[in-house]
Amino acid sequence: MWNVSDPWIGFWLPLALLCLATGFWLTDRKDSRRRLSTVTFFASMVIIVLFGTRTRGGDSSETALLAVLLHMIVPVSLMAIGTLIATFSGPSPVGPLPRGLRPLGFLMAIGGLLWIGLMLISEPPDAIANGIGETIWGAWVNVFLSILVLVAALAGSFCIMMGEERNKEASTLAILTIAGGWMFYEIMQNGSEGLEASGWHQIHWEQMMFLIGGLLGSVTAVLAFIALVYMAEKRAPDPDVIAPLTEEEKAVVDAVLRLNLELEGADE
Amino acid sequence: MTEQRESWWGPIALLMLLLAFSMDLLVWQLSGGVELSSIVERMLLGFTLAFGITSFALLLISIGALHQHVRWKEQVVGLFLLAGLGLSLSNWQMAGSLESLRSEGVMLFSGMTAMLAAIGLVFGLLLALVTGREHVRDPLLDLDSTGGDVSLELDD
Repeated sequence: MWNVSDPWIGFWLPLALLCLATGFWLTDRKDSRRRLSTVTFFASMVIIVLFGTRTRGGDSSETALLAVLLHMIVPVSLMAIGTLIATFSGPSPVGPLPRGLRPLGFLMAIGGLLWIGLMLISEPPDAIANGIGETIWGAWVNVFLSILVLVAALAGSFCIMMGEERNKEASTLAILTIAGGWMFYEIMQNGSEGLEASGWHQIHWEQMMFLIGGLLGSVTAVLAFIALVYMAEKRAPDPDVIAPLTEEEKAVVDAVLRLNLELEGADE
Repeated sequence: MTEQRESWWGPIALLMLLLAFSMDLLVWQLSGGVELSSIVERMLLGFTLAFGITSFALLLISIGALHQHVRWKEQVVGLFLLAGLGLSLSNWQMAGSLESLRSEGVMLFSGMTAMLAAIGLVFGLLLALVTGREHVRDPLLDLDSTGGDVSLELDD
């Protein structure tokens, strides 16, 4: 019954548990559920790993997604660690790393991007070479390049608009936009190793449009959640009027105040 | 200069829209076009499915974080209804096929991770570049304190 190879148990259940773990983690520090969040998180990770090891790329779309993520984790980590190294080895006061590491950080970040470019001209592994795996991998690359071009252009033009000689930053981001744009053009014009241009076109029209709708749907759901919380808070009754202090309470407050005032007077 | 800075988002949003349309036009020209109805259909499916999944995720987070002061009835019941609505609509659009629903959900995750990776790369690089800016050292920082001992020389 509880077969980890079943996508509902091996993939979707851990995702639901991750959401629950996030909820537990948001509770008060003294709440016992706070400790439960770490256990739930690791349990879901273990189930996902077991699911990944017990299935093969062509078995289901979930396994294909894990294969794609596993395939992309090295270049993406390279980019993430590279940018962190470059940031924390800079001349700013928050840079505790040696200055000499800064070029290495940039090299790692650009290396990660080039790695993804290299994947497009090399034969993909079996798990993502055919069927749903190929579509998921194609959608990942397509979305990555499109967002890279758009966001790099946004950030670069923002640098120019803000002025104060941010030419170096703007030029770097412009290079990123051009490189991303060139890769996008190449795969759409000539295709990539293992996937023809027509396959990329189909992925663009089917998956890219689906994901644009998905992005709008997610944003709408978050706005609906905010609206729900707002409505709930608006409907909440006013807190009860606090009863005035009793004579006994007044005496306690008076004693505490007197004690503190006397202490302050003695200090001076 | 101040006036230019206030309206920075207008031209930038226009540039982004222009770029997005250019990319779509490029694919349109290379692929020989596509039916607009199929684009709208895919966008609607993406919208309803993402709406349902996000609402369900928020519902689980809300259940996990419930506490005595929260107005849980509105939040939990509301999110349950929203998630049910989104997922039911998606299921209806997929003609009741749970297999297809799962595979489209996976596609959403794939796209979202790609989006996060791209945004992370660009803003990570931007952060690294911005923090690397060299500034002329403020001469006031090099001054020593006199400990309040000040003498003034008045010119005639």
